[in-house]
Amino acid sequence: MLVYTVRRVLGAIPVLLLASVLTFVLIDLSGDPLADLHVQQPPPDPEVIQLQAERLYLDRSMPERYWLWMTGIGGNGDIGLLQGKFGPSTQSATYDIGANIAERLGVTLRLVGAAMVFALGLAVLTGVVSAMRQYSKLDYALTFVGFLALAMPTFWFAGLVQQAGVSFNELVGTPFFATVGDGTYQAQGLSPWGRFTNALAYMTLPTIVLMLTSFASWSRYQRTSMLEVLNSDYVRLARAKGLPNRVVVRRHALRTALIPLTTVVAVGMAAIIDGTVLTERVFQWRGLGEFFIQAVEANDSFALMAWLMLSGTTVILANLIADLLYGVLDPRIRYE
Amino acid sequence: MHERRKSLALAAAGASAMMVLTACSGSGGGPAEGEREVTWVINSLPAAWASTNGSGSVYTVQMLSGVIPHTGVWQPDGTYEYNMDVLAEEPQVINDDLDAGPFQYSFTLHEDAVWSDGTPMTGEDLRVTAMMSASPDEGYCTTCDSRGTTNADMIDTMEVDGKTITITLKEGLSDPEWMSQFDSTSASGGFYPSHLAEENGWDVDDPDELGEFFTWLHETRPEWSGGPWMIVDGDLENQVVKEPNPEWWGDPVQLDRIIMPFNTDEGTFVNAFNNGEIDGANPAQFSEDVIAELEGVPNATVTIGEGSTWEHIDINTENEWLSDVELRRAIFTAIDRDDIANRTYGQGFPDYELKNNHIFDSNSEYYVDHITPTGQGSGDTEAALEILEEAGYELDGDTLTLDGEQVGPFRLRSTDTVVRNNSVQLIQAHLAEIGIDTTIEMTDNLGEMLVGQDYDIVEFGWSGSPYFTSSPEQFWHSESSSNFGGYSNSEVDELTEMTGTAANRDEAAEYANQAMEILVEDAYVLPLLADPNYFFVNDRVAGIEDNLYSSLRATYNIGEWSLAE
Repeated sequence: MLVYTVRRVLGAIPVLLLASVLTFVLIDLSGDPLADLHVQQPPPDPEVIQLQAERLYLDRSMPERYWLWMTGIGGNGDIGLLQGKFGPSTQSATYDIGANIAERLGVTLRLVGAAMVFALGLAVLTGVVSAMRQYSKLDYALTFVGFLALAMPTFWFAGLVQQAGVSFNELVGTPFFATVGDGTYQAQGLSPWGRFTNALAYMTLPTIVLMLTSFASWSRYQRTSMLEVLNSDYVRLARAKGLPNRVVVRRHALRTALIPLTTVVAVGMAAIIDGTVLTERVFQWRGLGEFFIQAVEANDSFALMAWLMLSGTTVILANLIADLLYGVLDPRIRYE
Repeated sequence: MHERRKSLALAAAGASAMMVLTACSGSGGGPAEGEREVTWVINSLPAAWASTNGSGSVYTVQMLSGVIPHTGVWQPDGTYEYNMDVLAEEPQVINDDLDAGPFQYSFTLHEDAVWSDGTPMTGEDLRVTAMMSASPDEGYCTTCDSRGTTNADMIDTMEVDGKTITITLKEGLSDPEWMSQFDSTSASGGFYPSHLAEENGWDVDDPDELGEFFTWLHETRPEWSGGPWMIVDGDLENQVVKEPNPEWWGDPVQLDRIIMPFNTDEGTFVNAFNNGEIDGANPAQFSEDVIAELEGVPNATVTIGEGSTWEHIDINTENEWLSDVELRRAIFTAIDRDDIANRTYGQGFPDYELKNNHIFDSNSEYYVDHITPTGQGSGDTEAALEILEEAGYELDGDTLTLDGEQVGPFRLRSTDTVVRNNSVQLIQAHLAEIGIDTTIEMTDNLGEMLVGQDYDIVEFGWSGSPYFTSSPEQFWHSESSSNFGGYSNSEVDELTEMTGTAANRDEAAEYANQAMEILVEDAYVLPLLADPNYFFVNDRVAGIEDNLYSSLRATYNIGEWSLAE
């Protein structure tokens, strides 16, 4: 297993390298980091623009900039991914991209973690129930909910969920659900119970939004996979041997049916990361999604590169974990 | 089956109990019971903990309101008020007669004025602030990158005597708006505690060490205050929490706490307001949808007013055709400003007012309507054609010609926003009425386009301020780098220079108005209207109003906010 893991990690390096080249070129072509200065009114002194261009290494060619961004060799000491420096930011001279990512990672992980756990749990549950009650009213109802969730744009759904939260608060006469912020500051000085309710208040609505799109597609995969397994010969054999239905489903069918979902969840990491961008903006969480939007708004190419590399690495890692999980879920697979 | 139902019932009961219990704890929004707390939104993330450096913005200034002491602020009615909590007396001009000696003025701080650590405020605080506001060339500070150096760079000497500072300007310079040096409009937004430099081991008279103090002020959350409030918690990403400054010597504040969350998405305002999570905001952008929703909320007061940015149409006078003043006059006469204003902002802000003076708004004591009497901006096609006919132009079908040659076509340019897109399309239609063909070209590089004179007719905006004396020279002087259209008139040059060096504002306003009168006759810049801004507040908050004359907006009187009875 260790050898396999190391081999996979090493194999990911050229993928990341290629991804970095492509994203660097695309970002470089897509916007001007000095755009805000160019529309400033009154226009700044050309000397100011020149100084800013030099600070951001825009006076260098694209290949030179990529080399600098990767190695830091020939830079001003503020750039070089291999040295752990993400480069200067257009947002301000003192804006530290690395420190910002580190600060925001916890915020996003909290949201993504909760959304993944709930989405996965719900998807497995509804997928299994749907498969076992195929073509029943419950199956149709869950299918309808699934497709509805798939069809809803995140930003719109987020607005609806916020509105529903406000209506709930009005109904019970207590501001339980919060619609903006991550609640970190509000949790200060609270008792453990207070911190728990505070977390519920601030996390419930964005978690619902973020988990919904993933839940919808995952539950469909789980249903299909479960149906396939339930109709397989070995499950029929287990039933024929007189094993109780619960044992057949839990011990024999579900475990096998989870294998395709593992792949889907790993691939779906990218969708979840995308989802955080809108969810964090609508709920005003200062996580990595909001970091991405700020970087886009500021034409901050090095911050964008940092975000894209981080999300690329996360997706690759998620795929690696999924591959390793196959071995746990499927006894036929062994990593030599 | 029975077992499963029992489990489901237990789970449902548990969930309900959890909801009830957590709902009782009421942690989702609004102040804790019995606390006099207001939550006021800052519409963007402040870039630093001080506002003097290049990344300083109105959001930083608003975040620091009630913390940084200042010497005066423009009021919502356009009048100026000195901050008599901070000052011992109204500051004085000691000499404004340049023949008798250099321009000189002084500020004396209130005898009770202290910082939150009990250290008295002195003239030294003002001196150090001015030094940090000056450009590095002045020699005070090697690394201070102040965003506004004009006033500080005029200073020759500063003498401190306890609570008083006497400032002497360089030979031959005068500053009719000297009172802005340490007020809320200045780059620093007020003045800073110089004793903290010494406490941290920096010598403020060493240019390198003053730079370190400057950086420290911008990077460190202030634990100090010189106003009614002090920041007790927060960061530059989420929010700041302010509580009363125990050492505040003025009228006591009426609230226990002010929370200022940074919320960058106006789309969230209505839900957050309805949920009691925020009490109001003074957003930077005009949003008709948000305004319409807020106007339907019973406990919300919404006001809309003219902001500080004003739109205008400029002509490139160095264009072969457009160098003819008669053609420019006809163009400006054919443009229907009311049509443009109505179709861009009319729905959300039907009370818009056309701008008839480039510098002063209609509330100003210096306001003179320069535009209406000329007919410019009226959309009077007949009058425009008459001007053209008298100048020898002819309308040949749908095309304007001079000596048989087509006039134009002209490149009509602006930045690519919804409002300006609509606006230039209307201008194009207005000019077609007098046979002038235009091609619309939007840009995302306004600076390059303007500096490169890469336009024939352009619409863009200037950011205005009640402090006006430097603006005319910047806009219209033939040698100004911001006079993009190449306008040149020696009389205007002289008048704009005199505006900047007048002994006082009254005199400066007189010169500015004279310059504008000539400018309008020369049909170089046609003002349209000021972009509107809005403000909303929960009716439970009292003593709060928007202030469109100050970058502090509604926070300009943050020490006076209270809860309605």
